[in-house]
Amino acid sequence: MAPKAIASPVSVSWYPTLSVLMLAIGLVITASFFIYEATSSRRNRSLAKELFAGAVASIFLGFGSLFLLLSCGIYV
Amino acid sequence: MKMGFRFDLLVFAVVLLSTPVLSDLVLTRVDRRVDLTSHIVRIASSLKVENTGKDSVSEVLLVFPERQAKNLAYLTAVSSPGKGKAKASAVNLPVENVNSEGMPPALVAYSVSLPEGGLGKGESFTFEVLAVFTHSLLPFPEKITQADTQLLVFEDSAYFLSPYAVKVQSLTVKLPHPRVESYTKLENTKIQGSEIKYGPYEDLAPFSYSPIVVHFESNQPFVVAQELVREIEVSHWGNVQVTENYNLVHGGSQIKGEFSRLDYQARPHIRGASAFRNLVAKLPPRAHSVYYRDAIGNISTSHLWGDSRKTELEIEPRYPMFGGWRTAFTIGYGLPLQDFLFESEGKRFLNISFGSPINEIIIDTLIVKVVLPEGSRDISVSAPFPVKQLQETKVSHLDVIGRPVIVLEKSKVVPEHDQYFQVYYKFNSISMLREPMMLISGFFLLFVACIVYVHADLSISKSSASYLAKVQWEEVQSVIQQVDNLINRCLMIHDKLDASLRDLSRTGDVQACKAARKHADGQLKELSKELKPLLSTLQTSPQAAQILPKVEELVVKERELQDKLMVKHTTVVECYEKKVSGREIENRIALQQNKITALRQEVDDLLDFIDEL
Repeated sequence: MAPKAIASPVSVSWYPTLSVLMLAIGLVITASFFIYEATSSRRNRSLAKELFAGAVASIFLGFGSLFLLLSCGIYV
Repeated sequence: MKMGFRFDLLVFAVVLLSTPVLSDLVLTRVDRRVDLTSHIVRIASSLKVENTGKDSVSEVLLVFPERQAKNLAYLTAVSSPGKGKAKASAVNLPVENVNSEGMPPALVAYSVSLPEGGLGKGESFTFEVLAVFTHSLLPFPEKITQADTQLLVFEDSAYFLSPYAVKVQSLTVKLPHPRVESYTKLENTKIQGSEIKYGPYEDLAPFSYSPIVVHFESNQPFVVAQELVREIEVSHWGNVQVTENYNLVHGGSQIKGEFSRLDYQARPHIRGASAFRNLVAKLPPRAHSVYYRDAIGNISTSHLWGDSRKTELEIEPRYPMFGGWRTAFTIGYGLPLQDFLFESEGKRFLNISFGSPINEIIIDTLIVKVVLPEGSRDISVSAPFPVKQLQETKVSHLDVIGRPVIVLEKSKVVPEHDQYFQVYYKFNSISMLREPMMLISGFFLLFVACIVYVHADLSISKSSASYLAKVQWEEVQSVIQQVDNLINRCLMIHDKLDASLRDLSRTGDVQACKAARKHADGQLKELSKELKPLLSTLQTSPQAAQILPKVEELVVKERELQDKLMVKHTTVVECYEKKVSGREIENRIALQQNKITALRQEVDDLLDFIDEL
């Protein structure tokens, strides 16, 4: 079997775009999370909703910051 | 002669002459070419060996005096393709260090294995030997001033030192310049331009030795890296990062007296001929993010250009390098992953060059560190020459247990060692998600901390009046919020009813409009049911006393609005059933419509007011 070259899972040229996009989405969800925290009163707050918003936001922020690091040249 | 050379070799050569012949091999022709054009000595020899004995022979011995052997960096033997077209291409012959019995102690022997069954009786075989030596050119004088040119001394034997008898042999010494200070003159010695020729000499006994000394001028850059640490870091996210830490010294004649920068700037080729100003590194193609710095910071004197086959980096140290001067710097560059990382039979391997990219450099100690991604297993190295191997771990960005590092160490490295080596390892692609998972869990912890902070009740006294008031106020707030929600839902239903009227005027479908009305009635009834308990809670709570009138007003206004809307709806539907014209309908409901709009405005204002609390 001939050796096969291994490339990165995502093309390197996509990193800056992906980073901006995912960070933007992540920050919007983060903003909505904090707006929800600040406006809803203690009794009406739903823990599941908060955790869900937090999880989605952290997935986007996590991948966004990973791509930010990669596009800056910090290859983790 | 003016120089203090070790003539003990001559004595020792005489001793050697008396040792017995090792085998029945005879070298029928030996041509040696010594290349002294750079500071790395390369001796290329072409040997024709013939078996005069009865038994077949499988190996040929090459010997070097101990003094030379300790500087021997690289030795290869390649079978000559021969002059006939039928012969195959050159084949590398295995060479190994042997301690042959009957060999004089001051000699180091290497054996070259002959291909396929060895050499039969009367057969002959031709092969080429390349030996590369470091630190074999000695500066003489050892110290020179800035204005002097550098003179070097090279010692060897005019005769090929061999345990076999040699029939015909010749030696060519190639110098960088025709300017030669002195050279040993033997019979059949002639100088042609920058080449000195010894020989041909015929019928010499085994271990014949005749020392020669060539003293010549050479201002070639004498670049010696005392230590070079190359760190190759593999990231599966698309990069191979190479960082090279050089510890350079000019290995030629040391400079004495003072250094004048002014003289050097004015006439660098006369006042600084022995110095070198720049170095050229040939980096692989598609190298990117190249940097050149030292302990102080970036060094701006560098140039980079490249094409599809290579990238060339020209760097200038902070000062011209004179003999004995040192400098330390770092160069680094990134390489695309797909050029160097491959997969074969379930294993991944890195295929990358071993030596330094800088031209004509001697490296005393080369340490190559290959940093593999976290989670690599079953690591093995395949190198074309023996190297010392170690394993360590390095903790870098976003690591938990650290990355496995393979350390390869080799002394006396010359450009000929710049060959590819392979590091094999196993890696599960899921492990690539470790870094993003760390980032994600970091962010998630932040969110969880926020949630915990918001949910936690941090007040110390749970029974104080103000605390109780606060709790009650929060209750009121939550009820008001619910009321707010309900009213908003009512308003949405109103909007739907309006929309159904618009549909009616467009399509004339009275039944659909009636159905929508029925549906809306049901919903509104439910909502008003939900509203009742909330209102009664508000009425009983003392905290809500202030806000209660507004809420009640809101509920009343909403009810009024609802009634008006229903009346309007009924009127319109009836008109349609009686087939009254559109203008007539509009006239009939115009008054109602005005009231509805005014009420809606009031309700919205009240909602805004309550929201602001």
